[in-house]
Parts: sequence; structure tokens; C-alpha cells
Amino acid sequence: LEEVPLEVLRQRESKWLDMLNNWDKWMAKKHKKIRLRCQKGIPPSLRGRAWQYLSGSKVKLEQNMGKFDELDLLPGEPKWLDVIERDLHRQFPFHEMFVSRGGHGQQDLFRVLKAYTLYRPEEGYCQAQAPIAAVLLMHMPAEQAFWCLVQICEKYLPGYYSEKLEAIQLDGQILFSLLHKVSPVAYKHLSKQKIDPILYMTEWFMCAFSRTLPWSSVLRVWDMFFCEGVKIIFRVGLVLLKHTLGSSDKLKSCQGQYETMERLRALSPKIMQEAFLVQEV
Amino acid sequence: MSMEDYDFLFKIVLIGNAGVGKTCLKESLHNEIPLFFQGLFPPGQGATIGVDFMIKTVEINGEKVKLQIWDTAGQERFRSITQSYYRSANALILTYDITCEESFRCLPEWLREIEQYASNKVITVLVGNKIDLADKREVSQQRAAEFSEAQDMYYLETSAKESDNVEKLFLDLACRLISEARQNTLVNNVSSPLPGEGKSISYLTCCNFN
Repeated sequence: LEEVPLEVLRQRESKWLDMLNNWDKWMAKKHKKIRLRCQKGIPPSLRGRAWQYLSGSKVKLEQNMGKFDELDLLPGEPKWLDVIERDLHRQFPFHEMFVSRGGHGQQDLFRVLKAYTLYRPEEGYCQAQAPIAAVLLMHMPAEQAFWCLVQICEKYLPGYYSEKLEAIQLDGQILFSLLHKVSPVAYKHLSKQKIDPILYMTEWFMCAFSRTLPWSSVLRVWDMFFCEGVKIIFRVGLVLLKHTLGSSDKLKSCQGQYETMERLRALSPKIMQEAFLVQEV
Repeated sequence: MSMEDYDFLFKIVLIGNAGVGKTCLKESLHNEIPLFFQGLFPPGQGATIGVDFMIKTVEINGEKVKLQIWDTAGQERFRSITQSYYRSANALILTYDITCEESFRCLPEWLREIEQYASNKVITVLVGNKIDLADKREVSQQRAAEFSEAQDMYYLETSAKESDNVEKLFLDLACRLISEARQNTLVNNVSSPLPGEGKSISYLTCCNFN
């Protein structure tokens, strides 16, 4: 884990406070600067607030005052509740917030996910939404997390969680064609081994790397993701592929299909480390 | 690891409703010590998003059998992704949760999926998981046995948590796959690709008798 020196942290906090207090001005005139500061990492104390500003979920909440409470009071459809309930105890089970069955974390997770199925009944619940909502709940209260989830599902990753999962399959193909440019060696190897992108990128993309990367890297990736959108997810995916399969030397020990997939499943900690990853992205 | 380091290779795909314990069955086979004793149980395993897999090599009568075990997301909307993976399976493990009536009621729907997407030669095993939660049982052994008989499936109850019957499940299945493969080689003498094979998995057809 990288320690940001205390003095730097204080400076960053006051810069972020200034930005958040004059948000519209900053967004209109100094977007590039916001982007740069997101790349450097949002101070932990302000991260939850910043994500709400960046995603536009703050505005969304203000436009829909009382909506979440309204959804929260409705019973919900049994077919969704059943799957949601089965997933509550399996999100970040070692995090203190989610460790106890029926504890606050799990209760809020249920409320947020249930509210979404009522907000978009035609979409319902997708299992990949649970880790996303859980990460949000670690940073903000249930109502705020709900609107942030809405923004992710509708603005950032539209179609990822809906019925036929077409968007994720399409993005798998796009990732693969981008890989052709970024790392021809990795591309050729995956083509030769006939490894469909769906096999390694589904969880990466649908959970926005929250179940893949070490925690400090997840947060840094999400800081950039909230500012710049899905292209960050693509870039992270490309960095991981390139540094795992991108040279003949790396390929020596994963000649077969199985060895290759095993390698992609157990990525080297070195390439997932915060400083390295962010710099490469 | 050399690719030729085995006598047989079989692809087995785990299917069934979300949360019935497919991933835990796979993990349970993988770990020599029951998950329960390792303190890995509970808390829960994250839901499988998409498709996951592992390899387990077992020895049967002195022959090395490599099992390629594919684990699929149980939620319905992932089927557009997972379907293509059971097309080339040699065996399917159709799992339900004995403490969840709904997961048993969905079995006919799963059988329709199998009929539509799997090879017609696929071996299907029915597994009732979570027998460690006996006091919460909703599906009786008799009902499941009758159902599996009517569908001509091998049936077994397991506890992935306590590693009960898990090894037996995979070993029995491996034995059946071997004898099936032997029969096929005797009949056909050549290993031909499965009909309707879309995604060719390179060593799918290697499961012939050496």
C-alpha cells in the first residue's frame, strides 16, 4: 500500500474541498484539472462525495427527492428478492461492514439492489450489480449509493446488466480488437488458443475490477472511472493483458489454453499494484 | 505442465440455479481439506460472473484422467454467455439445493436447456447439494431419485461444505466417461468432432482411448 505523505494529503483535501464547493465552475472550465486530480487519487475522506459529484448522482438524487424512500417501502418482486437474498452474504465477506449476516451492510445492500429492481422493473437484478453496490455502500449511505448505482448502470455501463447481456459481449469483442493494436503478441496468442474474451473479461468489466484488483488499486481505478468513464475499464483490461501475455518470454510458461486461462485468472500482483497500474493506464 | 500428461481428458460443466453451490463443489474437489475446516465456510463465495474453470487430475486404475471443470453463472441472464460452453461438454453436473424447492422446480427448465444446447451424447448427473443443512431440507431424496430415474440420470447428494460425496461424484463420473469413451472408440474407431461443434476447443476430442 502506498502511503501518501500527510502534508500532501492535506493539500489534496483542501484542493478537493474547493473543487466540490465550486463544482459547476470547475466542470465547465477546468475539466482537465479534475481529470488530473482523479488520476492522482481522490483523498479517502472525500472519495464518497467526489464519486457522487463526478457521476452526477448527486444531481440525480436532488431531482428525485423522496424517490428512494418510496421504492424502499415497496415489497419488491419475489423472483428478484430470492436471488438478491442469496447474494447478500457473499459480497466482500471479510469487510467489517458486510461480515455479519443481517448486519447493516447487508441490509443496506438489500435495500439498494431491491430499489433498483423497482426503479427499472424491465431490467430487474443482475448478480454483477451486487459487488458494485457493495463498493458504493462502503463510501456513502444507501440512498446516495442507489443513485450512484443508477448512474453506473445507465450512464457508465449501459446495457451491461440487462436481460441478454449483449453490451458486455460486444465490449468483449471491442476489447479484443483493441488488443490487436496494443499488444499484437497477446492478441495472436489468445486467438491461437481460441480463448473467447468473454472468458476473462466478463467479471473484470461487469464488476469494474472490484473483484480482481487489490483494494487500493480498485479505488484508484474507480476514481478515474467516475471521471472518464468506461474507457478506463478498457485501458485497465488492456494493461493487464499486455503485461500478462504481451511478450514471447511471458508466453513460454503458458503454451496451452488451460495454462493461459490460469494465468489470466491468477494475475501477477506486480502488474495489479496501484502505482504501476495507474501509471500504465 | 505438459499437455500430453494424461490418458483421458474430459470437459465437465456445472450448471444449475444461482446459489446452489456449484462453485463450492468445484472448490471442494480442489481442496484436499474440507472448506469448512479451513475456515472458508462461511462466509460465502462470490457469485460466479460469467464462466470460471479449473483442472483436476485424478488417477483411476493407474490411468491419469484430467478433468476440466467449468463453472457457470447460475442466473438466467448469464445463459446467453454460458450456453456456448456446455455445447462441447462431455458431462454436465446439474446441481440443485436440497434446502431450496425453487432450485429443484427449475430442473425441467435446465433439462430443456441441455437438450437444446448440449451434445446429445452428454452424460448428465443430478446433484442435490447442501446436505449439511439437513434440518432445512425442502426436497426429499425420494422425489429427487424418482425424478432422476424418469430422466435417466445418475443422482447423488453432496455437501460441498463438508466435502461429503464430492470426490465420489467426480470419480464416479470420470469412470463412466472412461467406459463411454472406450465404447465409442470401439464402435467408431475414430474420434470425430461432436456434431454442431461451434467453438472448437482444441483438445476436446482427445478423450479417446489411448
